[in-house]
Amino acid sequence: MVSVVRRMRNLRTLLAIRLGPGAAVFPPEVNRIHMDFAAKPLDGHMGPRKFFKQCLPRLKFHNPAVPMTVNRTTDITGPATLTIHFADPATAGKTSPAISSTTSSTTSTGPVAASTSPAPTVRTETIQMKHVHESEILSQVMALTKAKIVLPTPEEEQEIKDLQQQRVESEEISKKAKIAKEARKRAEAVISAAREST
Amino acid sequence: MTPSTACLAQLSRLCISANKPAVNFISTRSISSTATRLAPKTTKTATRGSNPQKNKKKGEVIKKKKTSSSFQQYDLKAMEQFSLCDAMRYIRAFEVGKRPTSVKYEMAIKLKTLKNGPVVRNRLRLPHPVKTDLRICVICPPDSAHATAAKAAGATLVGEEAIFEAVKDGRIEFDRCICQVDSLAKMNKAQMGRFLGPRGLMPSAKMGTVVKDPSTVLKDLIGGAEYRERLGVVRMAIGQLGFTPEEMQRNIRVFMEAVKKDMGQLSEKINKELAEVVLSSTNSPGFSLNGDFRSPNSVTPRELSTS
Repeated sequence: MVSVVRRMRNLRTLLAIRLGPGAAVFPPEVNRIHMDFAAKPLDGHMGPRKFFKQCLPRLKFHNPAVPMTVNRTTDITGPATLTIHFADPATAGKTSPAISSTTSSTTSTGPVAASTSPAPTVRTETIQMKHVHESEILSQVMALTKAKIVLPTPEEEQEIKDLQQQRVESEEISKKAKIAKEARKRAEAVISAAREST
Repeated sequence: MTPSTACLAQLSRLCISANKPAVNFISTRSISSTATRLAPKTTKTATRGSNPQKNKKKGEVIKKKKTSSSFQQYDLKAMEQFSLCDAMRYIRAFEVGKRPTSVKYEMAIKLKTLKNGPVVRNRLRLPHPVKTDLRICVICPPDSAHATAAKAAGATLVGEEAIFEAVKDGRIEFDRCICQVDSLAKMNKAQMGRFLGPRGLMPSAKMGTVVKDPSTVLKDLIGGAEYRERLGVVRMAIGQLGFTPEEMQRNIRVFMEAVKKDMGQLSEKINKELAEVVLSSTNSPGFSLNGDFRSPNSVTPRELSTS
């Protein structure tokens, strides 16, 4: 199994999932988010792709109950849209999140949760994402949904500072190592050249 | 007079040093050159580089490594551990936008165990099977009671003549094949072995694929999963991304119990212990689990139930 230290290093990415652009909590009336764009980052599909890769995981972490679906087509000439489904704000806060499991009663022997539907969607808003930068897409989403940005707690701020410190230190170490390696290679080259000449 | 004697002494010493080493030098060189140049050529050139000094240095440095008889264990005190709901929340964030049926949760159980000796391996059926898209063909009369039962249990193809025709045309659209006992004669008459045999799909009593009631075998076939200890770790796909926390909990519990039971059933001399349980998924880092279902500040399981 991979050693503990290496796995701990991997887990530092969790901080990046909790905080950063896209770390925001939606109000309860946001029902679902759907993205439609091309799989290849050509012809204006780079912004949507980066939004999907960078911001959507953070939105999903802070809004685990909001279904976020992505449909990536092969057609780069097609549109790139982000659709936000809204429920009625009056009822949205009261209904509990929907259950939709991929288990089926034909294959499962354990009890299967009956799927429930979320509060009905009353309106949808669409953002045209083609040729739009990911930060612009995010600000449009934030404006449409009136989401609350999640700010780091004092402990998390400390953690970020520590990580930056570590990064600076490791850069210095790698610089030193690089110099030492080059010196060693040079010495080896001189020795081997001397050997070949004799 | 003193300077002249000193000078003489110095001269004589110089003469000695000029003569003696010259003789010595030739002799030692003749020995050493043959020793250093011949020895590696005759013995080591086949496996190592042509530089004898380098080889010598390497040979001195190499020490015999201590080989441990058991796998390395780590101190988990520094390891951050998660409850199931917290780990699932992170994993679902990592896997956002992926198809909920194609992305799988994976579980790795690290054991404290010897490197040699028997390993834990078995089959089990999870309460909520992970791989459900297995296409199964049942050979029985299409209008019999068995056929309806098999279809209800999840068979994709049920029939006799129609299937034989399709197979002869080369359309084999299934991964497993089960035959009802009464249809065996018909199947053999149609010479299905020529087509199914090379693919390992031919039903036979030895394999347990010729049965009286196909529907009972179907459930095991669809949900069955195998696990095996490799390098001190038992790994298995434990759920689809679309499973709810409760369903995951049920699957994990059954899997853990099965592994513990297998560890107990090994011979008495061998002692295996649980060291760590890690939950990961297709694209996420591994989360070491602490055994709790949820922590005080984790989200409700209901919020993790949408796919």
